[in-house]
Amino acid sequence: MAETATREFLHNLHELPHTVKDACFRLGKAPESEREESQATFHNLFLHIHSVRVHVRTLKPTLTFGLGLMATASFVITIITGVLLMVYYKPSTDLAYQSIKDIHFTVSTGRFIRNIHRWSAQLMVLVVLLHMARVFFTASYKKPREFNWLVGLGLLVITLALSFTGYLLPWDQLAYWAITIGSNIANSPRELTDAIGITKFFDPGGFQKRLLLGANYVGQDALIRFYVLHVFVLPLALVTLLGVHFWRIRKDGGLARPEDPMGGIAEWGGERRPVFQPLATKTYGLMALVKGKRPPVNRGPENTVMSWPHLFWAELSVFMVTVAATLILSFYWDAPLKELANPAIPENPAKAPWYFLGIQELVSYSAFTGGLLIPVIVVVGLALIPFLDRRAEGEGIWFGTKSERPIFWQSFFFASAVTVGMLAFTVNYGWLRNWFPNIHQLWIIAINPGSLLVLIFAAWSLFVLKRKDSVRLAAVSLFTCFLVAFTILTYFATVHRGPNWHFYWWPSQWPLH
Amino acid sequence: MKDPSRIYRWLLLVASLVTVGYLVGAAVHENYLAQWKTVQREYRNILRQKATDDRGRELLAKFRIEMKQASIPALGTVDRCVTCHNGIDDPRMADVEQPHRTHPGHILDKHPVDRFGCTVCHHGQGAAMTFREAKADDVFWDYPLLPPEMTEATCVTCHDAGKLPPEQIPLLTTGMKLYQEKGCGSCHKLGGRGGALGPALDNEGSKTKHQLIMTNLKPPHTTWDWQLAHFRDPGGVVPDSQMHNPTVTQREALALTVYMLSQWKRDVPESYLAPDKIDQKYHALHPTPLTGEQVYQQYCAACHGNGTYSRWDKKFNRFVPAIRGVSLTSTASREYLQANIEQGRPGTQMPGWGPHAGGLLPEEITAVIEYLRSSAAAVPAMTALTLRGDASNGLPLFLRNCAGCHGMNGRGGVAPEIGNPVFQRAATDEFIIRTIRNGRVATAMPAFQRPEAPTFGDQDIADVLAYLRTLGEQRGQKATAQNVTSPVSSGGRP
Repeated sequence: MAETATREFLHNLHELPHTVKDACFRLGKAPESEREESQATFHNLFLHIHSVRVHVRTLKPTLTFGLGLMATASFVITIITGVLLMVYYKPSTDLAYQSIKDIHFTVSTGRFIRNIHRWSAQLMVLVVLLHMARVFFTASYKKPREFNWLVGLGLLVITLALSFTGYLLPWDQLAYWAITIGSNIANSPRELTDAIGITKFFDPGGFQKRLLLGANYVGQDALIRFYVLHVFVLPLALVTLLGVHFWRIRKDGGLARPEDPMGGIAEWGGERRPVFQPLATKTYGLMALVKGKRPPVNRGPENTVMSWPHLFWAELSVFMVTVAATLILSFYWDAPLKELANPAIPENPAKAPWYFLGIQELVSYSAFTGGLLIPVIVVVGLALIPFLDRRAEGEGIWFGTKSERPIFWQSFFFASAVTVGMLAFTVNYGWLRNWFPNIHQLWIIAINPGSLLVLIFAAWSLFVLKRKDSVRLAAVSLFTCFLVAFTILTYFATVHRGPNWHFYWWPSQWPLH
Repeated sequence: MKDPSRIYRWLLLVASLVTVGYLVGAAVHENYLAQWKTVQREYRNILRQKATDDRGRELLAKFRIEMKQASIPALGTVDRCVTCHNGIDDPRMADVEQPHRTHPGHILDKHPVDRFGCTVCHHGQGAAMTFREAKADDVFWDYPLLPPEMTEATCVTCHDAGKLPPEQIPLLTTGMKLYQEKGCGSCHKLGGRGGALGPALDNEGSKTKHQLIMTNLKPPHTTWDWQLAHFRDPGGVVPDSQMHNPTVTQREALALTVYMLSQWKRDVPESYLAPDKIDQKYHALHPTPLTGEQVYQQYCAACHGNGTYSRWDKKFNRFVPAIRGVSLTSTASREYLQANIEQGRPGTQMPGWGPHAGGLLPEEITAVIEYLRSSAAAVPAMTALTLRGDASNGLPLFLRNCAGCHGMNGRGGVAPEIGNPVFQRAATDEFIIRTIRNGRVATAMPAFQRPEAPTFGDQDIADVLAYLRTLGEQRGQKATAQNVTSPVSSGGRP
């Protein structure tokens, strides 16, 4: 008896690697048949959000450029590095800066980890914007994907908020003054309430700013608020919405694509056969239903492949490309860390994070228009796109509608010319306040380079709508104008705005204070 | 069918190789190749060579390659300089190369590293682990490493510079003396005492490079480079500076720079202060009055010179009167001088020097008045003037004879502002009459009633006086307003 138990024990010990493996992996081996491949997909918590088979178009690199996955990958990277940083970071105005310095100097590869966090966060913002552009220009927001477009917009806003809240945490001069500028943008409705003299009774700008900072200035209250948002609230919200985003991709039938054509040559069970074209006047009875060797009736060529392994190779490779790109950036360029935050020594120019610099440029014309009105118009406009453009055409194809590409290029050059022209005019000749020093502020709120840009772009879009008689083309023209203006304004404010927000050709020409 | 995921597998392979490569690279770069580890390996070799006796062998055996730091919570510093400066308190290391060398002098005997750290004296970024970042003159850090000869500036954090042996702080002592000799206090406040033309200098040493105009200087932009350049040529560093060229040698400029760097009200715990520093703080609250001559030298001389001549100041664009001239001190009353010193001359560069303005003690103002008057001759008796003047007759006389120098409405020009409210309040009729009659020796002010050829009769003088008195009424408001907006150089800030 004892001998058998001992033998059994030894046997189990010997088998331990196999039994543990079997317990962990339900399939227990590399899948060999399509059935096992499908099991590998839907028996795995992380993979089962994919369908078992995907359309080959999904795997075409130039359809998506992997942008959505890249955004997800950079988010995963920021989560991992963020948790590591959280171990050392102390969210207090007295300790924060020194803790970042310690991460740089004494934590083993701490500087590298912080660089990765910083770079993947920047990459995430950039890639999310590009992803939005991709979805728009492949018309992938159309029915039934309207809701996912809205979820995506929510994710864009959360991404910007995550990046913005993270900006403050190092508590250096860059952080302090960028957030001061950012919170002043939140304060911008006050320009309007001041102009019509109701700030005393109704002050939404001041309320927004206090809600953001917990005080009237950037201090300990703001730091702890930003910290809680950055490490808990916003990541949780982002993960939740991301789950919905993925789930809806699956439920909406994968990536948007055009209908497969009927007929032609089908590849079916390893053989290539012409597809049988059913005649409308004839019935084919059970021939249309039976499995096995039968003519493929009433269907196009089989254009799907197994998700395992093809889709997963693609996803893994995009993930690793993102990791590699982030590592390269982080190896050569350090995340910035300026002097300890000092409220007595303003940075000049104090600039918001780069993705808000376009808004800051508009705010320099009019706080209310640039800081509230135009961003609201842009977000609402983006949200309305799938509900105003509802004709099913061109889904899943870059510039898929007729004459979409020419309209894109026309809008591209039109918007570039208008934006550059407007900037050049403003820099050279000033604006209403320079010409009529005593003019009422309401005039400037109403008429400024920002509001004029919006009006010109809207007029252009209406012109396209009339001339081309297509809602989609009007949307393309407007969206292109928005992208171009956003890019040019961001570039302009980053490179050509110096101390006191004056124009300079290059930062090297800034006067040193 | 072509394998649809072939390109992705290649991509995955390349990206994974790059990833692994950079991860390994970063691990090696940040750990094994870290500068401080190389330095410590070098130091261990030196220890090995010097391990000739028991003590040396014991130090070698104890030596570990690890990060070292002096963490001083009381000073709020964490100084990791000793990670590379391993031999800093080992006297055997006096002859080896930096960074292994012993600290020069005997300073560490009384200032052990584990109690004081390094940056409290040397500045620099103590937490850094590379020399470039510790020196911090081209990284983002407010207080980069002080050059060795300027390090004495920080002694005053805990010591009274006046009580330290001058040979240990040669530059600081010289700088302190120069500050008084050059009369810097005429325009700058220090400890609440001094003029108002330039910025107060109490926290000059705590300024960062971002608070100074660096446009005309070459990088790296350190505050001491700014100070050095500024002492040689203020206007060349700060455009539109009103500061006079201090005419100093390079070494004197260096001494003044060190003195400026020492101006930093840094909070350190009481237990770190030398007894003389505590005495100094007490004396700052209970100052001993200076003599009249000292006050004149430190607070008046920079503008008024030795006070016996009047001059035209180009930078001020204004006439600076001879306040020790015999004809002023012999005619001006004590009250007149006191009012002018305590309240200054609004609208001119002359600030007030009373306890709430320039910070001079009442005793010192009395003393400096005595000093001004020490050159005065006996005042001859004056025949009283009892005539009543008529301002409307005085006006044409004023325009013909006075306005050319004193300006329309007496608002000043090459000669003092006699429409000034402080002048109007403080100057007695007798003082004005006496000045008109006798003029001012060694200035452009002529005597208008010389016995041999009188320009004015007694009635003329009375009329001019009556006219002058109307100026105070007209200009009172305006002069005050002008004083508020008078251009004062902002010194360092743009």
